[in-house]
Amino acid sequence: MGLLSIIRKIKRKEKEMRILMVGLDNSGKTTIVLKINGEDTSVISPTLGFNIKTITYQKYTLNIWDVGGQKTIRSYWRNYFEQTDGLIWVVDSSDLRRLDDCKMELDNLLKEERLSGSSLLILANKQDIKGALTPEEIAKVLNLEAMDKSRHWKIVGCSAFTGQGLLEGFDWLVQDIASRIYMLD
Amino acid sequence: MDDKENPTIVPQTEYSDPDLQRKHSLMLERLSNRHQNRLDNSLRSESESSSFESTSSFLSRFSEMKRSIESQLADSQIAPSDPAQLKIYFEKISASISDLEKLVAENSYFLPSYDVQSSLKTISDLKQTLESLNSQLNPKKKFAFKNKASKKESGFPEFKEPLVSKRTDTSPEKTRLTMRDSPGFRSIVGQVLFKEFRGSEVGEFTISDLDSCEVRLIGSLRVLFVHRLKNCQVYVGPVMGSIHIEEVEGCIFVMASHQIRIHNAKRSDFYLRVRSRPIIEDSNSVRFSPYCLTYEGIEKDLQHASLDNETGNWANVDDFKWLRATQSPNWSLLPENQRIKIVDISTQEIKNDNTQVI
Repeated sequence: MGLLSIIRKIKRKEKEMRILMVGLDNSGKTTIVLKINGEDTSVISPTLGFNIKTITYQKYTLNIWDVGGQKTIRSYWRNYFEQTDGLIWVVDSSDLRRLDDCKMELDNLLKEERLSGSSLLILANKQDIKGALTPEEIAKVLNLEAMDKSRHWKIVGCSAFTGQGLLEGFDWLVQDIASRIYMLD
Repeated sequence: MDDKENPTIVPQTEYSDPDLQRKHSLMLERLSNRHQNRLDNSLRSESESSSFESTSSFLSRFSEMKRSIESQLADSQIAPSDPAQLKIYFEKISASISDLEKLVAENSYFLPSYDVQSSLKTISDLKQTLESLNSQLNPKKKFAFKNKASKKESGFPEFKEPLVSKRTDTSPEKTRLTMRDSPGFRSIVGQVLFKEFRGSEVGEFTISDLDSCEVRLIGSLRVLFVHRLKNCQVYVGPVMGSIHIEEVEGCIFVMASHQIRIHNAKRSDFYLRVRSRPIIEDSNSVRFSPYCLTYEGIEKDLQHASLDNETGNWANVDDFKWLRATQSPNWSLLPENQRIKIVDISTQEIKNDNTQVI
């Protein structure tokens, strides 16, 4: 337990959180990160590799790792699992056809032991598009209720285009991580 | 403290006063009672701890619990077929297995390492049995995946079937995926398909499972999904969000969008205007050229979608299957003399002199 308490102390001092953001390609991960950081979202190329963004959110420093979702690079996701405090899974709510793929990749991810302690925020993105599934419908398709009871998770509908729902999701994630890392010793 | 006065060494003093004598005997009695109590207590606790610290008694408890779990597991073969009850049943078994695990953990400090190892092995075997039984008797999750795999593998003739059967399925869990379809053209062979989005607020549009069709989409869109097209020509007005293309062969695409992703494309030409860098993945023999579409009012639509300026990004293709500095062998620029001319889709007849790809 010695190492863990040292890590906790360092993290508490710097109030840092490491957040891993993954999801299928075209789900809007990079757009979400830029939007929440107040940056221009009009020209975003599909992510080849990853982006790291350090933003100050409330009184915390978030290190957001936005990892590309194309099939070819999904196998590299696992390189980013270590020490993840919060996991954000982004879903394209308008892409009905690939929801099966989405479920399969999420299930694989949640089997990962190194992520077992992290809080899980599911962002049902693209709610502004007509015909998009609601967060409730997404939750049903992904069978979130069947998730391991020890996991802290929440699903929030959002739109990276308008910004709606993003703060609600991040608020929950940051609070949940804070209550785990900083309050409990 | 009077505890120190061991009753056996208290001198037997004769008291002349009968009252004193009575008091004395009472006190002796109390002391001896107390002593007895203490002895009893320490005996009891000793016997308890000794039963815990003995390997043989641990092993007998362990095997007793193990037997009970095994019989529960065996019973599950004839257990209720109702999945909800079955789930509860399995949860109970899994709880007893974790009790067993706890027992081992609590006693591991005095057990010989061989016994710890073998107990842990037994536990993991039990867990495995439970898991395999669970997946055998409760195959729901796997079923969903199989469903998907078969859907993926089926070519387009059969594609319509799973869709229909899914829709008529009454179980709420299975209707989930296709509870509604996005608007689109699906499963059509050899037709000209025309759609105008002018005025009507449209979000997403899907074109999938088309063979030898010509698709004309006039007006602005938010999102376009293209899936499984063969020998088609696709002409699309500005898309304000992203275009996602998967499994196309022998097609021509003329499209403008903020983002374009192309997967599993073969022998196809793309005439693009795109604000960001288009990407390809698992594709080969795909060629790129600038956007060349027109219809009445396209300038206004392009401007509204912030796609009125040529960015030159049509030539900045990223190939996710070719992460080297050299040019990817999977794509190339379309030589100018092989490009189609401006396509006007507002007229009924499409005037282009090169409908053949490659």
